[in-house]
Amino acid sequence: MSETAATATAAPTAADESEPTVVVDTVSKHYTVGEQVTALDKVSLTLPTGSYTAIMGPSGSGKSSLLNLIGGLDTPSSGHVAVDGKPVSTASEDERAAIRGTDIGFVFQTFNLMPRLTAVENVALPLVFDGWSRAERLNRATDRLEAVGLGDRTDHVPSELSGGQRQRVAIARALAPDPALILADEPTGNVDTDTGATVLDIFDELHAAGNTILLVTHERHVAERADQIVHITDGEIGSIEATGEA
Amino acid sequence: MDGREGLRIAVRSVRAHKLRSALTVVGIVIGIASVITFATFGASVQAEIIGDIGDSNAGNIYVFGTPSDDEGFDRVLQPVFTDADLAAIGEIDGVTAVLPRGSIQVTSIRAANQTLARSQVTATTPESITAGSIVAGRSFTSGEPEVVVNERLATGFSENLTAGSTLTLTYPDGQERPVTVTGVVNGTRGELPVSNFARQPRLYAPIDPFYEAVVESPSAGVRQRAYPQVTVVSDPRRTAETRESIEDYLAGDADARQLSASDTELVARSGSDFVDEISDVIERITRFVTGIGVISLVVGAIGIANVMLVSVTERTREIGIMKAVGARNRDVMSIFVIEAALLGTLGSLLGVPLGLLVGRGAAAYADVTFALAPDWIALAVVVGVVVGIVAGLYPAWRAARIDPIDALRHE
Repeated sequence: MSETAATATAAPTAADESEPTVVVDTVSKHYTVGEQVTALDKVSLTLPTGSYTAIMGPSGSGKSSLLNLIGGLDTPSSGHVAVDGKPVSTASEDERAAIRGTDIGFVFQTFNLMPRLTAVENVALPLVFDGWSRAERLNRATDRLEAVGLGDRTDHVPSELSGGQRQRVAIARALAPDPALILADEPTGNVDTDTGATVLDIFDELHAAGNTILLVTHERHVAERADQIVHITDGEIGSIEATGEA
Repeated sequence: MDGREGLRIAVRSVRAHKLRSALTVVGIVIGIASVITFATFGASVQAEIIGDIGDSNAGNIYVFGTPSDDEGFDRVLQPVFTDADLAAIGEIDGVTAVLPRGSIQVTSIRAANQTLARSQVTATTPESITAGSIVAGRSFTSGEPEVVVNERLATGFSENLTAGSTLTLTYPDGQERPVTVTGVVNGTRGELPVSNFARQPRLYAPIDPFYEAVVESPSAGVRQRAYPQVTVVSDPRRTAETRESIEDYLAGDADARQLSASDTELVARSGSDFVDEISDVIERITRFVTGIGVISLVVGAIGIANVMLVSVTERTREIGIMKAVGARNRDVMSIFVIEAALLGTLGSLLGVPLGLLVGRGAAAYADVTFALAPDWIALAVVVGVVVGIVAGLYPAWRAARIDPIDALRHE
């Protein structure tokens, strides 16, 4: 059984020029909350390297569960997930932590910055757990903050920054380890429209620079900035819609 | 993870809750301070006594009576050692000098128009006043109305006493006696090590003509002076065997044996016996206080554990963030253990100086020279850190086990 699974995943690698950044292979996720709930039901999805994908769906559709599985924050009940060729679903807890730290950059709706760390220290945080020296990580973090236009705010703590600035710090943090995949969960959900537009412009730039991006949203105009929109309903992928060139 | 980064995060967290952190470490501070206080005080007392006994008193053997059913060095101040006993002890091999000591009852000492009550007057022989102990003047002469005073007494009057000053001693029966001060001393040979403990004003007078306690000597059959305590100076290389010979004599037909009450044991103690006894008492007190300190430390540890649990709950979201960006369980655990260790360290860093301060106060109060106990200080700091770590282990383990998805949803 495991051999057939291995050949099945190996086949597309051999066929394609490059391995896709994300492979989700018949993944199911069940929770037991009083009774058994199926959050994802045999979902398969492939994100080629350099692609920009949006996931849309009503709340409770399973889009957050899918994001958590791809992000290595959770493990599937069945099926396989691989990010940048690394088997996230079968990795140990420590291995998943390492994958989260080096291969994946998270951008959250609520920013999720460490309140007592300065902007530059927040950006450098993933590198702390990856064993970088302080000088190296602050160097890299300063670069990333400059890239998102916050070179003059490096020593501010989050409470001294506006919502848009905080989200840009969070994006800089996601970029710090040069991840294979950027995962964004409603990145414009907590900022005003103008700021949201700026944030989306940054994602466009990142996409143009060759980054692989997966973005979860429930706003149509946000999703339309991506190459393709994956619609999820009731734990299943309903349709994959290709958008026109943005 | 970089340990220094963990420390940096811990310092920020402690700083962010200054009052809470301060209250948390109070238990550790009290525990460490109480142990340090008594360790330094004990060390001070011990150093003082060992210093008193010193090299010059190494050959001293102290002979006195003590109740046989009691431990320690409580003296029974009955004059039982007669001149005949002194002569017999003087014959023992290895004995170089026999220094009898008795006390003289006086109600007050007057200099010019100033009267000092409550001063100890000790009767002894001129041999007790060694050249090394004389600060000014000379020793008294037997048979003359001369005395020497210690420095505390010399400076006890508005005008300092010097050689040549005159004093008036008043006896309980109202009789007065003028005396001449011939010298100022900083102690005498043959003083019991413990009698130096409180440096009181003291006056030393020759036995002849001041000391009048007489008993009938059973061996000589005549009335003789008798003393409650005798210090025998022996050849320091043979102190142990000389001491045994003296004890043999005392156990035999010594006048003192026959004059003592049946429940009184006559003992001969060397300086090192005193050191051992005092060390024993100090050790017992230190152990008791250490017990109290340990209880404080346990309470302190519970306080740290409690605050760390609160801190873990408050920082659930931060834990989620750290895990999302790559923190492994042991990284999260070490961050919280470092924070708890920091609290413990803080407690001992505050407790050590506090303990030293109180210990110094206690040493000043007991009139002993302050001495440090460096091994105890080092131990206290280590214990503080270890208590912090132990207290932080469970909260840190809880923090490490937090599920990142739940944590990121936590408000």
